[in-house]
Amino acid sequence: MTGLRVRHRRTTALDGVDLAFGPGVHGLLGPNAAGKTSLIRVLATVAAPSDGRVEILGEDVGDHRRRGRVRGRLGYLPQEFGYYPGFTVREFVSYVAWLKEMPATATPAAVERAVARVGLTDRIDAKIRTLSGGMIRRVGIAQAVVNEPHILLFDEPTAGLDPEQRVEFRALLRRLGADATVIVSTHLVEDVAAACTEVTLVDAGQIAYRGTPGSLAALGGSEDGSGDSAIERGFMAALRAHRAPSAAREVSP
Amino acid sequence: MTGWHAPDDLVTRYADDALPEPDAWSLEKHLEECGSCATRVSRAVRETAAGAVLVDVRTAVLAAAPVPAPARRVSNARLWSPRVFLPSSRPRLARVLWAAGPAVRGAWPAAVLLVALGAVALAHAGGFDGTRPLLLAVAPVVPVAGVALSYGAHADPLHEIVTATPSGGLRLVLTRTAAVLAVSLPLLTLAGLLLPASGAPGAAAWLLPGLALTSASLALGSYVGCRTATAVIAGGWLCAVPARALAAHGGHPTARLAEQLSRCLDGAPAQGAWAAAATLCVALLVARRATFDHGEQR
Repeated sequence: MTGLRVRHRRTTALDGVDLAFGPGVHGLLGPNAAGKTSLIRVLATVAAPSDGRVEILGEDVGDHRRRGRVRGRLGYLPQEFGYYPGFTVREFVSYVAWLKEMPATATPAAVERAVARVGLTDRIDAKIRTLSGGMIRRVGIAQAVVNEPHILLFDEPTAGLDPEQRVEFRALLRRLGADATVIVSTHLVEDVAAACTEVTLVDAGQIAYRGTPGSLAALGGSEDGSGDSAIERGFMAALRAHRAPSAAREVSP
Repeated sequence: MTGWHAPDDLVTRYADDALPEPDAWSLEKHLEECGSCATRVSRAVRETAAGAVLVDVRTAVLAAAPVPAPARRVSNARLWSPRVFLPSSRPRLARVLWAAGPAVRGAWPAAVLLVALGAVALAHAGGFDGTRPLLLAVAPVVPVAGVALSYGAHADPLHEIVTATPSGGLRLVLTRTAAVLAVSLPLLTLAGLLLPASGAPGAAAWLLPGLALTSASLALGSYVGCRTATAVIAGGWLCAVPARALAAHGGHPTARLAEQLSRCLDGAPAQGAWAAAATLCVALLVARRATFDHGEQR
């Protein structure tokens, strides 16, 4: 599998971002409204960048036909996950498989596999409206993985999950990251520490820091700044370091 | 490598679990790199008691794994599992409804049926003779409403996910619109045929305007989003035709409506103009197809 190259310049939400992602679990970390969702939506080919170039799996997604090819190998869980409440879990995941143009003969088995991966096999024929918030989130994850995607995009996937489900979800992330490029946006530092192989810190539409969870923790280890864990202190330190020069610029005209 | 291979007695003792642990380890190290010795060891192990267990495990794993075999075999196997079999018993119907989109699965077809039946009931049971003009005045807006309920961030809770799939975009818009038209065109035209004319144009006269307004909604939707576009187009028609007729003076309101509709719908020039408008809007829609590739933001 080819990696993922992104160049995205001068939009309102993201400003001159250059990024490349390879297989593994990538955490997209940042304060609210930092531009994480904008970045994920561009990568999901749902939003078009106003400038710059996005290349996924070696295909330029600015091109109509190539975009179609990429979309078949993509899995996406949006932040606000919408669903048809009257559908059963099986119907819903099958519907998304149909939208992803999976062969009809392979769909039933793939749907059951995806539902089993999120641990909802016993509720597969329940209507979605009867499920709890955490279960609905897991249905969202199942629809994203049903086509065994090469690229998986999760926007705030752990929102609405209880602590136990979060732990399970992180284990699922690690399994998925073994052979796919998984990009997870979150504002929870502990998600990144537990599940990601790489961290990208986004702040005010720009990349503030890139490294591993270990290097981010090391950044905050020596300091006694705010934050409860080493990685949280590292997160704060990286944010301060990124904001400091721009704050200085604002002061001097 | 050194060219050394495991002698037969070593292989047999390994298979029988009679080899001291250090010797077993060094043999296993060798097997990682030597295919021919690995084959011999496998054969020897299969002949021991462990062989039967291995066969059982293999069969169980193969049975549990998804079968990438021909479709027929899969579906035969599925026959034995009622829980799995149930939803796949009507896959074609499910697929048609999936393609039709949220509007045709929702309350909209019931509303269309209500309009059609209501008009017929009003004319025949209620004795109201102005129903044909009323129906013709409302009918072109019905498919536009269907489109409004079919596509876009406001109508489809799945819009964001749909857009990121290969099926998203103009093709899905057109499939859903076709479903909307397939429900509304025959139903409303049939209802119109059952109504007394009362000075209004023919029951089929609304078809081309209906198509024109629908395609105009989609074309405009490529600029401003489906919800705004359908509201503008439907509102525009309602203001231009029924509202203007009702606001005018002289004569009975239904007679004025019939007269206004005749001006808009009757005759070759009017129908030709609607056909031209529909063609133009479809051309614009095709030219702007790429805009449907990206999602609407709520």
